[in-house]
This record gives sequence, structure tokens and C-alpha cells, in this order.
Amino acid sequence: MHPEIALLNDFLLVGAALFGVGLIGFVSRRNMIVMFLSVEIMLQGVSLSLAAWGRFHNDFGGQTLVLFIIAVAACEAAIALALILTLFHRRCSLDIAAWHFLREANQPPFRDVPLPEEPAERREPWPRLPPAGVRPETFGEKDKYRPRV
Amino acid sequence: MFDVQTLLILIPVLPLAAALATAALGTRLLRGRSHVPVVTAIALSFVASILLVFQLQERIDERAAQPGSSRAAGVEEVVARWSWINVPDAMPHPVDGRAETPGWGNFNIEVSLRADPLTAVMLAMVTCISMLVAIYSIGYMRGDPGYWRFFAYVGLFVFSMTMLVSASNFLLLYVFWELVGLCSYLLIGFWYERPAAAAAGKKAFLVNRIGDVGFVLGIFLIWTTFGTLDFGGVFQSVGQHAGDWRVTAICLLLLLGACGKSAQFPLHVWLPDAMEGPTPVSALIHAATMVTAGVYMIARCTPLFAAAPDAQYAVALIGGITALLGAVIAITQTDLKRILAYSTISHLGYMFVALGTGTLLGITAGMFHLITHAFFKALLFLGAGSVMHAAGGVIDIRRLGGLRRRLPVTYWTFLAGCLSIVGVVPLAGFWSKDAILLSLHDRSGLFGGGLFEILYLTTLLGVVLIDFYMFRPLFLVFHGQEKIPPEAGDHLHESPGSMTAPLVVLAFGSVVVGAYFEWTHGFAHFLSFTPSFECLAQSGHAAIDTADKWRVATIGSVLTAIGIAAAAMLYLGSGKAVARLARAMNVFGLYSLSYGKFFFDPIYNVLVVWPLLSVARLAAWFDCMAIDSLVDRCGRIPKLAGAALRPAQNGLVQFYALAMVFGVLVLLGIMLM
Amino acid sequence: MTNHQHILTLAVLLGAVGLWLMLPRGGARGRAVGTVLGIVALGLWFSQFHGLGQWTADGMFFVLAAIAVVAAVGAVTSRNPVYCAIWFGLSLLGTAGLLLLAGAQFIAVATVLVYAGAILVMFLFVLMVAQPEGKASCDQMSWEAGVSAAAGIAMVGVLSVAIGGILAPSCPAMPPIAPPTQEELAAGVLDPHQVARLGDELFGRRLIAVEVAGTLLLAALVGAAVIVNQFSGRRHDGQQKTV
Repeated sequence: MHPEIALLNDFLLVGAALFGVGLIGFVSRRNMIVMFLSVEIMLQGVSLSLAAWGRFHNDFGGQTLVLFIIAVAACEAAIALALILTLFHRRCSLDIAAWHFLREANQPPFRDVPLPEEPAERREPWPRLPPAGVRPETFGEKDKYRPRV
Repeated sequence: MFDVQTLLILIPVLPLAAALATAALGTRLLRGRSHVPVVTAIALSFVASILLVFQLQERIDERAAQPGSSRAAGVEEVVARWSWINVPDAMPHPVDGRAETPGWGNFNIEVSLRADPLTAVMLAMVTCISMLVAIYSIGYMRGDPGYWRFFAYVGLFVFSMTMLVSASNFLLLYVFWELVGLCSYLLIGFWYERPAAAAAGKKAFLVNRIGDVGFVLGIFLIWTTFGTLDFGGVFQSVGQHAGDWRVTAICLLLLLGACGKSAQFPLHVWLPDAMEGPTPVSALIHAATMVTAGVYMIARCTPLFAAAPDAQYAVALIGGITALLGAVIAITQTDLKRILAYSTISHLGYMFVALGTGTLLGITAGMFHLITHAFFKALLFLGAGSVMHAAGGVIDIRRLGGLRRRLPVTYWTFLAGCLSIVGVVPLAGFWSKDAILLSLHDRSGLFGGGLFEILYLTTLLGVVLIDFYMFRPLFLVFHGQEKIPPEAGDHLHESPGSMTAPLVVLAFGSVVVGAYFEWTHGFAHFLSFTPSFECLAQSGHAAIDTADKWRVATIGSVLTAIGIAAAAMLYLGSGKAVARLARAMNVFGLYSLSYGKFFFDPIYNVLVVWPLLSVARLAAWFDCMAIDSLVDRCGRIPKLAGAALRPAQNGLVQFYALAMVFGVLVLLGIMLM
Repeated sequence: MTNHQHILTLAVLLGAVGLWLMLPRGGARGRAVGTVLGIVALGLWFSQFHGLGQWTADGMFFVLAAIAVVAAVGAVTSRNPVYCAIWFGLSLLGTAGLLLLAGAQFIAVATVLVYAGAILVMFLFVLMVAQPEGKASCDQMSWEAGVSAAAGIAMVGVLSVAIGGILAPSCPAMPPIAPPTQEELAAGVLDPHQVARLGDELFGRRLIAVEVAGTLLLAALVGAAVIVNQFSGRRHDGQQKTV
């Protein structure tokens, strides 16, 4: 097989894989940001394919198109993130399933599968320090444990 | 100053303009003065009509003065201003070798008006009565919320009626025939919030529709037979079709139309109900003018009927039956206006009988009676309206009595009308009734005279009956003990001047018009110059014996006198004699028959209305159960389809995306195959 | 069915199962197994690459491809959205490397700049604003993980088959195109001054398109500002904030 065709084949396969993985993310994940991120992965797959085809045809058209994809992706990111923020303000959640009430009337609501009980986190207490210097100011209950990152 | 053509156009156009103006301005500008334009316009039309009569008379005089021309050619003038429909060669030429009229098959309908003596007489009568009734209505309708509407309708009616009588082809005649029917419907149902009035209007419209179907079929047949619808064309060529079955069929169909409009048996049932309308309307439309349209139409179509003797017998027979039927029913009715309505039916029957003789004498007599009848019947109706006005709307003669002193003008004019209608010498009714009797007597001497002999006797019987049914309400309402219904309150008084003045004028007319026409011989002479009657002149008729004349007049007068005397005896005395007579009559069921109006309404209900209603209900049921349910079921298909697809809209973005992915997969798969 | 189709089918099935196991489904069970299965499937799938024979020569390509795809899988499957973003960044770097390999230098750099430098940072920024505590319940639970994994992997499989079919010498759908020779490439896409060539292309032939893209960016800027402003005055319950 001609090496250029082989290269094109490989690139296209990688592009397809990225596209498919992004698709899975978009369909299955419920966090709006992650969904959006998955879309970006899909775009990456397409960009890769275009660049490869451009090389195969020895033409700059493919790269130009990728540039436009990047531009559109930037626009999309701006708009989508603005929308996500707005939606988040409305529902206080990034969960896309929080908007399932927009369904057709008289349809059964989305039932969330109950999460299994997570083991209670072990909260590490503040280390006890020997009294020295000025006593640090404390804030009551809040500083009984170390907050997460 | 005004030539015939201008006058002919002015006569209908003035009332139309007034009607339109009233309709446009009535609610805001005119209100209580809504009568002004209409009354003015009708009065001007009346003047124009009289001028027209004089103009025609002048021409007749010229014609008569010419040496060597007896009365061969009629006098006519046709004005055609506008071609309504013009389809050349609309019908192929006949293949069976029938005679063709000149201009065969050109469907050229012109809005053409004609002036000939028949039309002029009708125009003068219509505008005269309309003017008087319109003036009367000023007082009668005062304060009615629909005041302007009433006068707009009246103006429209006068326009339609004048156009009807001056139309010069069958289609135009039919158009205005329907238009006067519409006016009649509107005016019967004038108080449309009363269910009885609305129902009466509907009934009049529907019954007329039966007659109109006959009329329109007759027009179709005229078109296919003669290839033209113009009066002149048809009447000139009718001689070539003598003995053709088509002419007889045309005449019978036209007769059906005339029966509907002129309330002849068996389509007379609408006229008594039409009395639900305002009384001036009853006087104008349902006594004096519109109902005579049928008579006018048959008189106009004399050449056709002359070519179809069988149809003439039918006209006479129907007229005779109606005359007797109306008289018998009128005897027992208790509603004053209904009595007058049945009297109208009966008198229209007389006119039909006279027309049915098919002689110039008979037709002149019929038209003569039409004119005199218009006067005294309008007078009687307006008198009844005056009584109603005074008695607070009560019209039942059993609840009224002795109003002679309270309503002197009404009483005297009503009396004049009664005397005239029963035919007391020398009032108008006597002359026209005498003319009819004479024509019947004359006709019974010619071929096929047996029928007319019977009709002559029937008419004589009618002369007696009319005394009963006209003097009964007169005696009951105006004589005897004073009975005032509570509806009248304590303000029973004579009607205002705008109402009594027309009464007086009409009473004067009822008294003198007959004698004037008869003595001057003007009427018959004038009318005989109608082009439609030329065919009669050629056929000729038996010379009238002066002895015959005297004999008929004497018999009629004697019978009238006997009738009046008997009526006076019966109704001026105690009620016992009446009751005894009624009981005696009821042995044969006559009284019940008469009181029940020969049960036409129930019979028609059973024969016509119920079957139709049943079919309609069946159709409605079928529509509801079969068609509608089918439609409903079809309508449920999209609903079900929607229900099947609706779960797809579950509000989850991922689901939509997944559906899209599967779609893309399927597409890709197909492309790879 | 040819041999490579068998292998691809197996790879697709294994990949689907593995991804399904790896997706957050309310617990950590089977994630390790899923990872193993995914790696096996990826290996099988890589085995279909035509350039496998030139492993040493093109080793860089495979490393970069593996980074891109594995990182993408990680981005999709991570339970913590922050990790998602970081995995995505890694995937981007892999992609950028691949683009460099394909000879698209400018695109590679632009991708890194725009995506990793701007968009990814924006993601993280929004995440920090919206969900500062890190995990949320919606991240613990995928929606129909099995179905979506099957659909996605089926897509990859179908696309792979399609690519194989299209690039096969006997494909009737494609007109025979002579692949470019190295000399042609050196004079074309792989020109040493290729960034300048790309600029020529962009601001020469594609000038209008570039201008339109710029306008689109401006519109997006305005749009984003408007959208955020429009709703900033409202509270969560949709009522107007009273000042």
C-alpha cells in the first residue's frame, strides 16, 4: 500500500475514534460542561480527518477548514458557556436532566437511578498544636474538619 | 316635459333611491323622519304614473283618430337601457322542425321597461295605494324601533313592484317577482322577535318557493320552446305554436307560480299567516299590490293562455275553488285581519276566474276588479289597523263591540269599504263584480261553457257569502254593545290625521272609482290597447246583450241585498240565531271545516312537512352518526400517532442526541451496503 | 467477512463493554476490568493500522494517537469534571502532535493555543463558578451508559469499516486519485514555508470566508454578553430581583 494512503487511513481511524469517544461522552454524561467537552473531542476528530485529507490532496483547503472549525468552536464555546451559566442560575445544577420537565405533557418524568451510599468520608481533624504564640481565630463549627480541595 | 321613457325610469328609481337613502341614513340622521324620503319618492312616482297614463291615453287617442285602424295594434313603448346578459347563439336550432322566432337562441336579457296600458294601470294603482299606505304608516308605525327599517323596506317593495309590472322579459319579471317575495318576507317578519311573525315569514317564503319553482320551470320551457324570453318575441310567435303541448305546460307552470304569489288554492295557506306583519304591510302587500302580481302575470301572458284553452280552464277552475274556499273559511274566522285575508284570497279567486274566461271582457273585468279591490281591500285593512291601533293591538272581533261612536271616521270608511266590497250599487265593487259576472255569463254561452256556467253560479253563491263574512265583523266590531278590551286602556280614541286621511281618500276611491271607469268606458277602452290583448281582439267575442247586462246586474244586486239583510238579521240580533245556524251547519261538519280552515295546515303538515322533516332528521342522524363519526375517527388517527410518538419527547437532551446517532448509523449503514 | 472485519468486530465489542464498565454508573465496580478490556480493544483496533509494519519509523504517530484516544476516553469517563477537563487537555496535546505529524504546523499550534489556552481554561472557570465542590451527583451516574457506549463504538466501527472500504484500491465510490509524491508534498503542504503558504491561502483565496469567520466571532462575543446579561437580573426561581 502506498505510504500516503496508509497514513491517511491511520489518521482517519484516529479521527473516527475521537469522534466516537466524544459521541459516547455527549450521549451518556449528564454534566453540561462535560457534554460540551465531549463535543469538542468530536470536533478534534473531525479536524484531524480534515488535516489528513488536506495532506492527501496536497492542498491547504483542509487546514483552512480546520482553522474555521477552531473559530466556530471558539464561538460555540462562548455561547454555550454563557447558556450553561444561565441554565445553572436557573436550576442551581449543571445536570442536564434537571431540564427534563421541558418534555411533552403527560410523559413520565426522568427517574434518576438512586446513587449507592458512599462511605462516609473520614474527616481528618485539625492537628493539635501546642499552645504557642497567639491563639488562632476560629470560626466555630466550620473549622472542625478540613474541607475538600 | 316628461316623455314616456323618462317617466318609466323615474317611477321605479325614485323609491329605490329613497329606500337606499333611508337604509343608509335611517339610524343616525333621519330616525323619526325616516318616512320623509320614502313618502316623497312614492308620491312623485304616483304623479309620474298618472302622467304616464295620460301620455298613453294621448297616443291611444291619436291611434283611434287615425282612419281605418280600429284597435288592431296595441300601444307600447319599451325602454332598454342596459343589456344584462348577452350570449349570442346560446341554444341550437330545433331539430323537429318547429317554428323559430326571429332572433332565436340569442340569450339577450336587457333590463328593459315597457309602457303599455296594462303596465300603466298597474303602475298607477301600485303607486297610489303605496303612497296612501305609506302616509298611513307614518301614524301607525310611529314610535316603533324599526321605523326607518319599515320605510326602507316599503321603498324597496315599491321599487320591486313597479319594476315587476314594467319588466319586459320573463327573466326580469322573475327577478322582481322574487324581490317582491323577499320584501314580503322581510315585512311579514318585521317584528322578527315575535316567533309567530318569524314563522309566518318563513312559511310565506317556503310556500312561495313552491310556486316559484313552477314559474322558473315555465321560464325554462319558454326559453326552449320560443328561443327567447322577451315578451314581444314570445307573444308574437305563440300563434305558430297553437296546440303544442309545450304551450299548455308553460301555462300550467306559470299558473303554479301565480298560485303561489296570489295565494290561490292549494298554495293559499301562507297569506292568512302573513297577517303577522304590520297592518299597513298587510294592506299594501298582502291585499292590494303584491298578491295581484299573479293576476298581472296571467293577464300579461294572455297570448300564451289563449293558445292553451286547457290551461285557461285550469285558471278558471282554480280561481273558482279558491273564491268559494276563501269565502267559506272567512265566515267563521274571529281574527279581523284573517277574515280580510281570506276575503282577499277569495277575491283573487274571482280575478282568476275572470282571467280564465279568456275573453277580452273577462280579462278587462279581472283587471278592473284588481283595481277596485286594491282600493277597498286596502281601505278595509287600514280600517282594521285603525281599530287595532285604538284597541291596543286587539283584533279578535269577539272581544270588540260598539266602537262606532268612539271611532267615527274609521267606522264610516270601513262601512264604505264593506258596502263597496259586497257590491252595493253604485259603489266600485258593484261594477267590477258585475263585470266579472257578466263575463262569466257571456263565456258560458261559448264553447266549453259548462264549466263557466258552474263558475257563474259559484260566483253568485260567493256574492251571498261575502255579505256574511264582511258584515259580520262590521256589525260585531262597530255595532251592538260597547266592548273595549283591557289592552286598550282608557285612551280608546280615533287615530291621528295621518291615518284617517288615507282612509278617507281610499273610501272616496272605493266609492267612485268603479262608477267613473264604468260610465266613461275609459278603463276597458284604455286597457284594450295593450299589445298582449291583441290576440283576443282578433278572436272576437259574443256581443253583449243589453238585456243580459241588466239581468246579471239585477241578480247580483238582489242577491247582495238578500245577503246583507240576512247578515243584519243574524249579527245585529242576539247571538242565538248565529249559534243555531252554526249548530245546524255543523250537522254536515261544515262549521268545523270552515273554522278549521278546511284543515289545510294539518294536512300539509302530514303530507309535506312531516315527511320532509323525517327525511331531514334521518339525514341529520346519518350525518351525525355516520359521516361525523367517520370524520371524528379520522381525526383520531393523528392523535393516536401523536400519542405513539410523544414518549420520544421526554425532555432529555441525551435521548435526542442518541436518536440522532442511531439515525446517522442507519444512514451510514445504508450507504455502506 | 474478511479477517480484518472479524478483528474489528471483536475490538468494537470489547471496546463497548470496556467503555460501559468504565463509565460512572454509581460505583467503582468493574472500572479496572473495563480499563483492561478497553486497552485490549484499542490494541486490537490498532492492529488494523496499515502502518503497523513500520513501527519504528512511525512510532511517534502511534504514541500520539494512543495518547489522544486514551486521553479522550479518560475525559469522557472521569467522574470528576475537573479531571475530565485535564484529560481533555491531554487529548488535545495528542491531537496537536498528530496534526504536526500531518504537516499542519500552524493548525497544531492554533489548536493548542485556542483550545488548551482559551476554551479549556474557560471550562475550568465555569466549573469553578458553578460546581466548586467538585463532584456532583449527576457526574456519578451516566445516562444509559450501555446504550450510549454501544452506539458510540458502533459509530467507530462503522466509520472504520467505511474508511477501510473507501481507501481500498478497488473502491468504486472513489475515483482513483494518485497519492502525492514526496516531491509534490514538499512543494505543497509540506513546504518549509508552509505557514506563509497557509497565510497566502487564507488571506487570498479564502479572504471572504475569513472575514465571515471574524464576524461570526464578533457576533458570538456580543451574543454571549447579551445572554449572560439578559438573565443576570433574575433569580433562580425566575422572579425579578428586587433591589
